Amino acid sequence: MTDTQLNRRQVLAGTAALAGMAFGVSPLAAQETGEIVLGGSIPLTGVFAFAGIGIHAGIQDYLKILNDGGGIKGRKIKYVAEDTAYKVDASVAAFNKITSQEKVSLYYGDSTGFSKTINPELDRRGSMIMAGASFATELNDPKKFPLQFMAGPDYTEMFGILLRYIAKEKPGARVAFVYSDTEFGRDPIVPGEAVAKELKLNIVEKIVTPPGSVDVSTEVLKLRRANPDFTIFHGYVLAPIPEFVAQAKQMGMKSQFMGTFWTMDNSTVQRMDAAADGFMGVMPYRYYYDKDGSVPMLEKIRQMRPEYQSTGYMQGFVTAMLMAEAVKRTLDAGKELTGANLKAGLNSIKDFDTGGLFGVPISIPGNSVPVGRIYRFDAKAKQMLPASDWIKL
Amino acid sequence: MRIGTLKTSYGADEALFDSSVQRGLLVLLALGAVAFPFVASPYWLFLACLCAINVASATGLNLLTGYTGLVSLGQAAFMSVGAYAVAVLEIRLGTPFLLNLLIGAALAAVIGILVGIPSLRVKGLYLAIATIAASVILHFLFSHWSLTGEARGLSMPPASLFGYVIDQPFTLYWLIMPVTCLMVLGAANLLRTRIGRAFIAIRDRDISAEVLGIPLLRYKLTSFAISSFYAGLAGGLWAYFFRVVTPESFPLVNSIFYLAAIIVGGMGTILGGILGAVFMTLVPELLKFAANWLTPIYPDALAALAPVRTIVFGGLIVGFLIFEPRGLAEIWRRVRRFFHLWPFRT
Repeated sequence: MTDTQLNRRQVLAGTAALAGMAFGVSPLAAQETGEIVLGGSIPLTGVFAFAGIGIHAGIQDYLKILNDGGGIKGRKIKYVAEDTAYKVDASVAAFNKITSQEKVSLYYGDSTGFSKTINPELDRRGSMIMAGASFATELNDPKKFPLQFMAGPDYTEMFGILLRYIAKEKPGARVAFVYSDTEFGRDPIVPGEAVAKELKLNIVEKIVTPPGSVDVSTEVLKLRRANPDFTIFHGYVLAPIPEFVAQAKQMGMKSQFMGTFWTMDNSTVQRMDAAADGFMGVMPYRYYYDKDGSVPMLEKIRQMRPEYQSTGYMQGFVTAMLMAEAVKRTLDAGKELTGANLKAGLNSIKDFDTGGLFGVPISIPGNSVPVGRIYRFDAKAKQMLPASDWIKL
Repeated sequence: MRIGTLKTSYGADEALFDSSVQRGLLVLLALGAVAFPFVASPYWLFLACLCAINVASATGLNLLTGYTGLVSLGQAAFMSVGAYAVAVLEIRLGTPFLLNLLIGAALAAVIGILVGIPSLRVKGLYLAIATIAASVILHFLFSHWSLTGEARGLSMPPASLFGYVIDQPFTLYWLIMPVTCLMVLGAANLLRTRIGRAFIAIRDRDISAEVLGIPLLRYKLTSFAISSFYAGLAGGLWAYFFRVVTPESFPLVNSIFYLAAIIVGGMGTILGGILGAVFMTLVPELLKFAANWLTPIYPDALAALAPVRTIVFGGLIVGFLIFEPRGLAEIWRRVRRFFHLWPFRT
């Protein structure tokens, strides 16, 4: 161990530098530049970074298009983000930091935990609306979460879209749910069963696995005994889906395997290798490479970024677009940018064209956009390709 | 230059703060802590509260691991006991928050004693595994019990005192900071008692301690109880701070965080627990400012530097372990010695 060679001046200089660092970033008065601020607790590192990086780029790109086009009534939207590593405390710290420095009207949150934690503060401030990466059913309640929304269907609605597709394809089909033992995984299971009952589908098995489990051989045997026509995975990103599907296929199972939004990125499904072929799932947005229908906004994205962009990117892009539309409607109505006015502006969205990102015109009567389409992975094209029409709930 | 500290009584020799300079600095620190909420933004207040909660929990773990030598990876689980207890009491009974905090901490202490029972037979890594097992059991219980809201957890109302709601970082600071200060002071004083000396004797050599007449079972379980009490209280404060408690609020990685905090800070010193918890909480946040400063020059510095930041944080921890295994507390001691001896060098 070596003793540190310090002199008093160095120590004092170091202390002063640290103090400067602390107070140099202390609260700045919100500058009235006419800019509207979109703050973000974004998971650029940690377990959700695979989506966070795309979300970050998507928000930036939409705002670039908007601001380059003159903004909203001449007012630009400024994006101020912080990395959260997908930790609730870091997300709240980022929220406090950004709202201390800026007058925030729009906010992007990174998790269900954060959305629930910050909700009382959003209500107390009443100055902004928030959306985020969570599609938790619990958040789709305008009474409990009056200033929040999600740019797509909630998890139960995703199950609803999948089950409607199944009921149409094979009435009375046998369906199994495989989900992780987390809040995320359990979210749509009970309401999903109710929807299945309504659609006269048979839920033959529900298998719960620890999150990120690798050895699933006993669960696969259980699934084989149940012999479902369709198996829906939820609460995972990748593992243990490839292992599950590969083992089930080896056992000769003919079940059709399906997933929900966060499993559905093209590169994620590709990583399932042999298990990927025929894998299906629900997507609220078009994929980066989709060519069907009128897709002017997708064309713009492809011009801006020639390489494939993830579903997380689309989610960030669409969220920023819907937030901007809420601002536009609020300003058009001559109202102040408060949380309640912005939410009312958002809820006034009816048959809105997102430039082809959603395949159909959308409405947001509550906190979600209950629209989606079933895609199926084509191993030859190495792409998720449409397997159904757009389904509106 | 300080040339010596004359002590003329055993009381003075045992004093926590043994010089007038130290006491003066402590008064300045206390004044700074009182003035802080009036000058700091909600962001810094939030971080101060978070640091205080982590200091409280790390101090508890330091008593168990640093002073008694019992390695535990269950600190986050004990925190969850306190947090859930507080949330359930606040939601169901609406009892006063101080009572809730104490009940939560007491419950965590009871669970701590149960988890600590294997410590009589197993030590080191084996004990760490036993505490992990306890964490898994508690996690399972909380995520499947209707009382604790199952997987969705509990959202609770804020603490209130005579109708005054304590829900903002400014008001929470006046709850969290004094409680943490009392806890740290309590821990420091505990180590001057028979109990504290028994802990240290057990850590240094448990067989010798038993030969000296220290009942191992009683003191090991006492250590677990006190440590879990601290964790439970910290968990309760955490619950009032965030007001949402879910099974995912206290993952195993948080237990590793507290263990890392006391190792980086310096095991077996009260100051080490404080410095380590503050370091582990603040450094990842402070590193973010590098990206903020670079943004005007390089617009996407945030995304580009995010992974680098994680690596730098990891590197700093490894660096401390290599260059100062005795932790931040030892560095602090050297800095103090430098000032004591100035203008002479050691």
